[in-house]
Amino acid sequence: MSRFRRAVLWAALTAVILLTLLSVHGAFLGADRAQAFFNSLPLAVYWLALAALLIVGLVVFRRLLQIPALLLIHLACILILVGGMWGSKAGHVMQKQLFGIDKVVRGQLKMKIGDQAPKGRIDVEDGNSVRELPFAVRLKGFRMEYYEPGEVMIRSREGQVWRLSAKLGEQVSLGELGRITVQKAFENFKLRAEGDKQVPYDAPGGSNPAVQVRVERPDGTATAGYVFEYFDPIFTEAIGFDLTYRRSIKDYISEVEVVADGKAVAAKAIEVNHPLHYGGYHFYQHSLDEDAAGQYTILLVVSDSGLNVVYGGYVMLIAGVFWHFWGRRALIVIKNRRTIVPQAEHE
Amino acid sequence: MEIKYTIQGLLIYATIAVYLFAFVAAVARQARAGRIVFLAGFLLAVLSYAYRWHDVRHVPLQNLFEVFLFLGMICYPISRFCRDVLRIGGQWADMFIGAVVLVPSGFVFNAQPMQLPPALQSWLFAPHVAVYMLAYIFMAKAAFQAGEQLLGRRSAVEGALLPPEQATYKLVIIGFPLLTLGLILGSWWGKLAWGDYWGWDPKELWSLASWLVYIGYFHWRYMFGRIHPRINSLWAITGMAAILITLLWVNLSRLFPGLHSYAT
Repeated sequence: MSRFRRAVLWAALTAVILLTLLSVHGAFLGADRAQAFFNSLPLAVYWLALAALLIVGLVVFRRLLQIPALLLIHLACILILVGGMWGSKAGHVMQKQLFGIDKVVRGQLKMKIGDQAPKGRIDVEDGNSVRELPFAVRLKGFRMEYYEPGEVMIRSREGQVWRLSAKLGEQVSLGELGRITVQKAFENFKLRAEGDKQVPYDAPGGSNPAVQVRVERPDGTATAGYVFEYFDPIFTEAIGFDLTYRRSIKDYISEVEVVADGKAVAAKAIEVNHPLHYGGYHFYQHSLDEDAAGQYTILLVVSDSGLNVVYGGYVMLIAGVFWHFWGRRALIVIKNRRTIVPQAEHE
Repeated sequence: MEIKYTIQGLLIYATIAVYLFAFVAAVARQARAGRIVFLAGFLLAVLSYAYRWHDVRHVPLQNLFEVFLFLGMICYPISRFCRDVLRIGGQWADMFIGAVVLVPSGFVFNAQPMQLPPALQSWLFAPHVAVYMLAYIFMAKAAFQAGEQLLGRRSAVEGALLPPEQATYKLVIIGFPLLTLGLILGSWWGKLAWGDYWGWDPKELWSLASWLVYIGYFHWRYMFGRIHPRINSLWAITGMAAILITLLWVNLSRLFPGLHSYAT
């Protein structure tokens, strides 16, 4: 092996070890600081050097060009690096300076139902500025879906916990504390006066989830009460333990329409794992929040610059790795078997 | 430490006991009996996993309890594949590993069934985790073979099985594509769920570090593999150490808060 080729290999090994150590260091920083660290100027130099080293490796080592799988693997790494750099904040600055492409890297759209962000005004994620998308976005609807049934959590004064599915007739024994039975579940608990009595009912619309439970004490006496998701439970008598009602969120869904030149050009019910892609951006269901005017949904808007290059690199990397380590060897084994079997038959 | 007085717990403890029995039989040179008992342990592990699946009504790979249950189940088929196809020994160690990986599920991690949060409701969830777990078992076996090489041990059945250094390499080349696939499926899923194909999260960075150690292994072995074979083995063992940190320390330590903390 020539001295130069040996030096390139040593450089590759050093680059790999260095990136391993940097990754471990980054893991201790936490995601936000690690992101800043890996996007800093010294690391930008490292990424460029790594890409250059991969290219030099391809030029210097003929073996990498002769074995398609190895070529794919190394080209894939270059593509992933280039795509990653192109889609970074610095990459977006470069796009603007070189090609006049002015895209928001990442931001948040906060919307209430019926809101239309004129020309898609979005808060840029650093929190310091508001930018505009080249089209408008309208929120047609927003909802949360829950797993049914919910769950009543029972916690004794000693800290023992029981869980009770909020299904009609479900019950749990609390040992010395008695037994609890679910009598009814409400989507939107309300009370109405019937004579001199307050009677609970499930009102259409709105949301005040609650469960009616019956508590039987070991001495045979019983009491009933209501456990709420958003409020403290109501019992007419002391029960000796804490009750809470909770439902696990199954999904957040924002029904969104993109409007350009006065026309709806795209629409989608955006859910977690199901973003909308339009106009060079992905729109993700990020979270929801509440202010004095009510609930609003928060959509994350992310530029798609460089994404296809990265994905292309992923496909090549997977194809290369599997072909090199599995496919080629499997073929060799199959070929060997084919040559051995006829010989054996001949003998 | 908690003992689970449930059917699930009973199945886990029975599997551990049977795996250990197989291990003792194998160490006592009752290889055939050991293999039969190992198979029985595997069937119990499948039953235990299927019971969990029925209980939670989604692929049980959501948290560390379920992940270790899965690891305990795949030890046997991987062991058989290694012996029958790859000609790699160490079945007695696989029996022991099978028992050891079930201990956290049996005695440490909470078995309370949980609903899948929105981010985990993706078709990528099961393949991403399962592929990683398969890779981890292959890499664990590779590290074991590497240890054998460093200790200077040789196969008991000379000629029939690969020497430890070659066995390590063969196991790494089986595990590495799976490790790569797991990393890329995770990245793709991250993009769909969180908007980033790479979030610089501690778990992501540790998994990248693990992947890079094996990249280093390949380059080292290509350069100096024949001159310094013992150092090849050190790379494989370092890779497994990085995997253990990725799998356990990142989730259990408060040093690494991140997007993957739901897996705890």
